[in-house]
Amino acid sequence: MCSEVFMLWTEKYRPKTLDEVVNQKDIVPRLKSFVQSRNIPHMLFAGPPGCGKTTVALALAYDLYGNYWRQNVLELNASDERGIQTVRERVKDYARTMPIGDVPFKIIILDEADNMTADAQQALRRIMELYTRTCRFILIANYSSKIIEPIQSRCAIFRFQPLSDEDIAGRLKYIAQKENVKLTSGGLEAILYVAEGDMRKAINTLQAAAAIGDVDESTVYRVVGKANPVEIREMMTLALKGDFVNARNKLRELMVNYGLSGVDIVKQMHREVFTLDIPEGLKVILSDKIGEVNFRMIEGADEDIQLSYLLACFSLYGEELRGSK
Amino acid sequence: MSTAEMLLWVNKYKPKSFDEIIGNKEAISTFRNWLDSFFNGTSQNKAALLWGPPGVGKTLTVEVAAIEYKAELIQMNASDSRSYDDVERIAITTSKHVGFSVSRKIILVDEIDGILVSEDKGGLNALIKLIEVSKFPVVFTANDPWDPRFKQLRDACLMIQFNAVRSTSIIPFLEKICRAEGISYNREALKIIAERCEGDVRSAINDLQTCVAGRKVLKLEDVKWLAYRDRVIPAFEVLRGIFSANTCNSAKRYTITSDLSYDELIQWLNENIPIQYSEPKELVDAFNSLSKADVYLGRIKSSQDWSLLSYAMDLMTAGVALAKKGKYKFVKYSFPERIRLLQRSVEIRELMNEIAKLLAKNCHVSSKTAISEYIPILKIIFNHNVKMAAGIASWLDLDDRMIEFLTGDINKSNEIKSLIRH
Repeated sequence: MCSEVFMLWTEKYRPKTLDEVVNQKDIVPRLKSFVQSRNIPHMLFAGPPGCGKTTVALALAYDLYGNYWRQNVLELNASDERGIQTVRERVKDYARTMPIGDVPFKIIILDEADNMTADAQQALRRIMELYTRTCRFILIANYSSKIIEPIQSRCAIFRFQPLSDEDIAGRLKYIAQKENVKLTSGGLEAILYVAEGDMRKAINTLQAAAAIGDVDESTVYRVVGKANPVEIREMMTLALKGDFVNARNKLRELMVNYGLSGVDIVKQMHREVFTLDIPEGLKVILSDKIGEVNFRMIEGADEDIQLSYLLACFSLYGEELRGSK
Repeated sequence: MSTAEMLLWVNKYKPKSFDEIIGNKEAISTFRNWLDSFFNGTSQNKAALLWGPPGVGKTLTVEVAAIEYKAELIQMNASDSRSYDDVERIAITTSKHVGFSVSRKIILVDEIDGILVSEDKGGLNALIKLIEVSKFPVVFTANDPWDPRFKQLRDACLMIQFNAVRSTSIIPFLEKICRAEGISYNREALKIIAERCEGDVRSAINDLQTCVAGRKVLKLEDVKWLAYRDRVIPAFEVLRGIFSANTCNSAKRYTITSDLSYDELIQWLNENIPIQYSEPKELVDAFNSLSKADVYLGRIKSSQDWSLLSYAMDLMTAGVALAKKGKYKFVKYSFPERIRLLQRSVEIRELMNEIAKLLAKNCHVSSKTAISEYIPILKIIFNHNVKMAAGIASWLDLDDRMIEFLTGDINKSNEIKSLIRH
């Protein structure tokens, strides 16, 4: 079987070269001129998820190094590396060897750089200085403001614009045609609505819907429903109704079936609490309780005990609510 | 079957033929003879009652019979829907309306001990009526059928006794599972598991999975956890002592006499607070104390200052005891089931992290994004489109466990696996 045919479409249809990147028109021409001069500065790509930051970084590398791009690019993800110490070790190991080909430096792409603490970023700044002779850094972040000033001042900053619905629609239609998938206008609209300008989410949704059948409104919403567990909301509603035992059973089920950690669960609870049909003041009180439990779990407290306390709070406030009505 | 269910070895390695069932050969052959005679129309009894301790294969035998006799299994869990109406509606209608289909059916009413409660008297009558009207064999299971209430039911049934399974029969089955899962095991550890389960094969398999906890090796020290379960009786006494105390000092006494360590005690309390306390105010007060005790335990772990333990114990004992608003109620406590669940969710999380690593490498995203955005999408694809799934599985180089996790369905994952090989 030719596996190429069955890759995830986000990868299969990721633009390989800068020429293939159709949007970000303010940015791409400047990057192309870097490629021509065979030199690039340290760069910071900032912008919302799924607007092409990683794609552009990889395409730039491909244009610079051609088929040797893999050997000349180190991809790191700040949220996967255990601390700045391992970043330093990996950069050190990588920077030790010379680049292959006619470009005198290698590229280090550090994704989700805004997830690093300020201290870690200070250390990163020193690493950048230490290896400037042999490496160029491309830092990728959602918010440039979360990157410390000294790093910003060492980088050329590129602000990526969110993709327009037309851009995404064009790409989705192209993929659907290539893959022989029937994409109705209702299906397209629905994907654009849920993707909120995020190309990755749009393409993933398209592929999952296509796995089910023709891509129309109903398959798209089936995909979206399955990808977002509604059980979190059900659990909160049960607790508010005073059914603590079943709320906790639901909690345990969520942790087992979806492999969610306690922190994952409180984060989703926090998002959902503001959409519940309860008095505004109570939302603030519950949000505070959620925050407290979140903090305790980060500090290493037992997830089940802390979440049980949280659900008990929900059931008490729920009772007061029923009493007052 | 959900992913979580399928990841359970008791389901994954459930026998599909009579030969695969371990132990109780005699009971099984009596049961088969009865079914043969029923379908021949020569049987004396229209119903059978399989009785014996839990986890020895009563329900399993009926499920396997459905496979081997190519019969449809109509299953009712007596403790799920216990009212007279429910039993009547579900059982009697399915049994009367034979319809045009000629297919065989077997009606299974599981765990009839569950309908022992007096208000379910109607349910018991419905079961007897079910035997009278049924055109198909009716099978009941029970742990203890000797309650006088069951007299009439016993008289109407062929009684078949199932016994505890010998540990020497259980060990080879556990070995089989270990080999299939690629686990290198200590034989002595398997022997301890098999002996401790007291003939309950299901709990032996559960214990094995819990002790292995997602790794590829089972050492002797891994089975130490099992000792925990043997402490049920002292734990119940401690819980009763704490929950019934009315003063700080009488509650705190149990920190000293307790056979349980503080971290065992907190788990027992966590499980049983909702059983003891039903008022929301009591629940919040008790969990408030317990969760703060847990925070102290965390501080002890990070500071290694054990003098803080006394504060944690105060909150656990006195704090929990004084949460009650009325008199102590006598309730039945239960084992912290959550410890088993925790092991299982740790296992699933580890598996998800492995898949996320592969996705992160191939899709240029963080593991976190892989888990939140890609794995839900993969689950949908693996559930609906085996061909696309097979392609993606070989592209990402997913192993069998990962494929099983993403489909949550044995048949589908087998289909995907065979597509990959061809």
